[in-house]
Amino acid sequence: MAVSKEMGGVHAESHATHGSAAHGHGEPHEPVFVGERRKQLDDLLARYPTKMAALLPALWMVQEDRGWVSEAAMAEVAEVLALTPAYVKGVVTFYTMYHQHPVGKHFIQVCTTSPCNVCGAEDVVNAFLKHTKCGELGVTSEDGRFTVIEVECLGACGFATPVMINSDFIESVTPEKVPDLLSKLT
Amino acid sequence: MADVKTINLTIEGRPVAVPEGTSLLEAARTVGVLIPHYCYHPGLPVAGVCRMCLVEVEKAPKLAAACATSVAEGQIVHVHSEQAREARKGVLEMLLINHPLDCPICDQAGECELQDYTFQEGRKDSRYKEPKRFNPVEDFGGDVVYVPNRCILCTRCVRFMDDVAQEPVLNVSERGDRAYIGKFEGKDLTHPWAGNVVELCPVGALLSKDFLNKARAWELDRTASICPNCTQGCNAIIETRDNTVVRMRPRANPEVNEYFLCDAGRLDYRWMNGPNRLELPQARQNGALVDADWDIALGAAAAAIRGKRTLVVASPMLSNEALHLLSRLVRATGGAGAFRVARGPEAPLPGVKDLALRAERAANVAGAEMLGFAKTDTPLAGLQAGDVLVVADHALTDAEVAAAGRASAVVVIGTTLPAGLTNVAAVLPITNFAEEEGTFTNLRGRVQRFLQAKAAPGLARPSWFVLSDLLGSLGETANYFLPADVFAALAASHAEFAGLTYDRIGLRGLPVLGAAQTAGAAQ
Amino acid sequence: MGYPHAPHPRETLVLSKYFGDGDAIGLDGWRKRGGYVALEKALGMTPVEIVNVVKDSGLRGRGGAGFPTGLKWSFMKPGDGKPHYLCCNADESEPGTFKDREIMRWTPHALIEGCAIGSYAIGAETCYIYIRGEFTEPLQRMEAAVREARAAGVIGPNAMGTGKRVDVWVHKGAGAYICGEETAMMNSLEGRRGNPRIKPPFPAVAGVFGQPTTINNVETLAAVPHILNNGADWYKRMARPDNPKSTGTKLWSVCGNVARPGNYEVEMGFPFKDFLYDLCGGPPPGRKFKAVIPGGSSVPIMNMEEAEAALMDYEGMVAKGSMLGSAGCIVIDDAQCMVKQIARLARFYAHESCAQCTQCREGTAWSTKIMERIEAGEGTMADLDTLLEIGDNMTGKTICVLSDSCAVPVASGIQKWRDEFEAHIKGKRCPFRAAAAA
Repeated sequence: MAVSKEMGGVHAESHATHGSAAHGHGEPHEPVFVGERRKQLDDLLARYPTKMAALLPALWMVQEDRGWVSEAAMAEVAEVLALTPAYVKGVVTFYTMYHQHPVGKHFIQVCTTSPCNVCGAEDVVNAFLKHTKCGELGVTSEDGRFTVIEVECLGACGFATPVMINSDFIESVTPEKVPDLLSKLT
Repeated sequence: MADVKTINLTIEGRPVAVPEGTSLLEAARTVGVLIPHYCYHPGLPVAGVCRMCLVEVEKAPKLAAACATSVAEGQIVHVHSEQAREARKGVLEMLLINHPLDCPICDQAGECELQDYTFQEGRKDSRYKEPKRFNPVEDFGGDVVYVPNRCILCTRCVRFMDDVAQEPVLNVSERGDRAYIGKFEGKDLTHPWAGNVVELCPVGALLSKDFLNKARAWELDRTASICPNCTQGCNAIIETRDNTVVRMRPRANPEVNEYFLCDAGRLDYRWMNGPNRLELPQARQNGALVDADWDIALGAAAAAIRGKRTLVVASPMLSNEALHLLSRLVRATGGAGAFRVARGPEAPLPGVKDLALRAERAANVAGAEMLGFAKTDTPLAGLQAGDVLVVADHALTDAEVAAAGRASAVVVIGTTLPAGLTNVAAVLPITNFAEEEGTFTNLRGRVQRFLQAKAAPGLARPSWFVLSDLLGSLGETANYFLPADVFAALAASHAEFAGLTYDRIGLRGLPVLGAAQTAGAAQ
Repeated sequence: MGYPHAPHPRETLVLSKYFGDGDAIGLDGWRKRGGYVALEKALGMTPVEIVNVVKDSGLRGRGGAGFPTGLKWSFMKPGDGKPHYLCCNADESEPGTFKDREIMRWTPHALIEGCAIGSYAIGAETCYIYIRGEFTEPLQRMEAAVREARAAGVIGPNAMGTGKRVDVWVHKGAGAYICGEETAMMNSLEGRRGNPRIKPPFPAVAGVFGQPTTINNVETLAAVPHILNNGADWYKRMARPDNPKSTGTKLWSVCGNVARPGNYEVEMGFPFKDFLYDLCGGPPPGRKFKAVIPGGSSVPIMNMEEAEAALMDYEGMVAKGSMLGSAGCIVIDDAQCMVKQIARLARFYAHESCAQCTQCREGTAWSTKIMERIEAGEGTMADLDTLLEIGDNMTGKTICVLSDSCAVPVASGIQKWRDEFEAHIKGKRCPFRAAAAA
């Protein structure tokens, strides 16, 4: 979920993306928890005394398989874990790492909290925005390859500026390193 | 029940003694101290999130949330100390920074807890200079509309659906000041008890579509009553404006409905306002049914009944008082009484013991049965040729209208005139339950009073008043000028009602003798 | 070591000895370095004995609260018939802090060993290590290490052949700083929104899944095997002679405008001035230190006068007006704008607020808006008073201390760098941005 500069704008954003055909609402949902994934989930369930405790892991499985968590996927997870879809959605919207709509192939997350901020993190952000041609935070590039967002402290403050691209964690990024980094992505 | 220790403490200088485990908020209530609060509600699990109920506890390092803090021996609690008031003032300021200045167009105005506490303890001005958060209004389905801008995120609605209705269809979505109450696309708030979230919402964030923009809270007259729409007998408040019922709300009764009212009952009040009400007595004169004075109509009714057997078909919505007098009529004429009750699906509220929208959709089925009326789907079956049929506010089917032709005469005592009857001797217009005072007996044998909420149309009179006059015209002794007197007579002649009086029944109700322990929250 | 730099002779390497040493990651490498000796020893002791050793050592929670660990463990009542749980808090999200990730990625078995000993000591058969979702490498390494340890029978249903069950599982978070709060972490583990819980009930009475639970930080648990191996006295000796309350070593995550950012491990009571200028190499060339936040962004900001006189232990930091916290040490030089950084911190808290408590939900966002307005040159002097009052309303009145944490840097800033705030307000622009543009 893009972290927009506007404090109040995020909800309006999620409303705007609600029900948009661009998010695959028209296509039927292929179940995630079948075959191997179902087995993985069942194994996981053995670790906890409640089904609900497998919710975050189950949502990760969905995102790993599909790239984002759709409402249909939320409904499937709810069914599998004996929860309600509304409940699952409440959890999904709490955690920033679950995407509620598709994002660019390379989801670029730059830490700009103070420890990195004083080390020039904003310059890194601008470098990414320029070289990916995204132009704006949270907006996927025309070719669908990149989305750039600012995130909060990634816990690698001594290796400023850390950047995550999907789940790849890259330390010590400077504006100079950005073009090279991007060139290595497909 | 195991012995529970009593804890002694002081709240606002008043000595308090309450069972161990009681919250400071409830303990304060026992000595008449209201601690301002939003998220706390006695019918819901404690959340402790609004932070409005902060109070000062001597020797404690921090202010305590009264709803979430248990009493401790010897505590000295200050609700209105400077520190506590400043903290609550801070909460109110925070709640208002994004809250729109909607009072002039918000339904909640006049019954809004945000208004109330801000008036009492808040700032007189706003220091917020930034743009306010904006979100569009949402239709939650059912009777409920959600206005996120006004929401203070107390989460009462979420907790109600989670724990009391036990259908978690509402959630808190997002985080921080972006949070709002959400639901899942396509899963609406159609639970039969969902409308209670409107009642629970302390502000105008959750609103009833039915009541939207209909009236201002301060224009309403409020009367303690009972929901008449099923046998549960939920305690209710009838709200009227200009002699029209505009809303029904729950009235708290821990023995019956706790704090809740189902949607079917809550929204079914329009029938109390008419239409097609009988406003004038009528009597058959020279072969035609004409408007007449009361004594003429009563005389015509008595004349038709005298010397005959009567079959009284009564509505199970009639009060105990009316049904008692009708049963006297039955006995005096050697007749019989019967009633039919409409049915619908039962809809329990799982979080409350023994609370449901009941299958039998009328308020006084138990009362009718106790007073000798037989429950049947064919109430006219017992009509013998020559009998007088007394239709007491019962809605006749077409077949029943035809069957009524067997009677020597029909006397209509009701709120509307059934169409197609040919042999009506007299029509006596009466009030509906909202227009009179009386009692109902619910399915657990609990006798509950309802008060008069609005005036009757035209010359219609209370049912018990009309029936007293009718009995008098037939030579029976029935000099009653108050419904309490009728009830006293009822109690004197029916063992189960022995010892009950209006005063004792009060506004909480009492079980008849031999009633199963009235389940409700009491367990 | 001042990882990723070479170890400084004045460091005391206990937890960080193998940072950067790839061979310490696997089970064999860990065993070669003395790993799992402490666990074996512990499984032969009684839980009470272990608790007493840890109590005696003076080990205090390294996540930020500094609560005595042995005492916390002693809250878990044995023989109550309920399943006990140990939760390892690896949610490390406090700005400035990056030590737990190093422990997990260089010495994952050290953490497993600490978790196993801790579990046994508190009567728990199950330990969940809650790792924040962004920690890709620590997650991979911990998962692999847990698999290794299980396969080798070190942990599992028959831990080290003793017949005792010790299960350690990795649980991945999904992006929420507040899940570092112990009760919020429990809610998150249960599959709920990461909302902190009201206390009482305390976790040791009713925690995760409603059962008795202890939550400990990664660094705390990683210290336990060393304490068992070397004894409580050894740990206690690493302290100021005049302050026995802070013992052992602490990993200091140094970041920001400093020559050698990284994790440093020093004994409790180390002089902060020496640390900053000698070990960490002082400010970047041509710059001077202006401010230090010693313990993660939630502790008061120190000016250099305070910092240079401070001693690096719990009491020493408090004596100079701040706190040790997580020891996430953010150093800020004179080229930085305090107003901008405090505004950025406020934005952090506003983003992370769970939304339960009114003061936090609204106050963090409101503070952010005012701070950003001031930074943009549109502030007024009255805004400063408003900020302080909002901060006051946000302090000591909520379920957890995220709210207080947002108020702290704002108060520090206005108190100690009021001139910078006034320059923004009176000059109607940020003087640092103007200077940089010039």
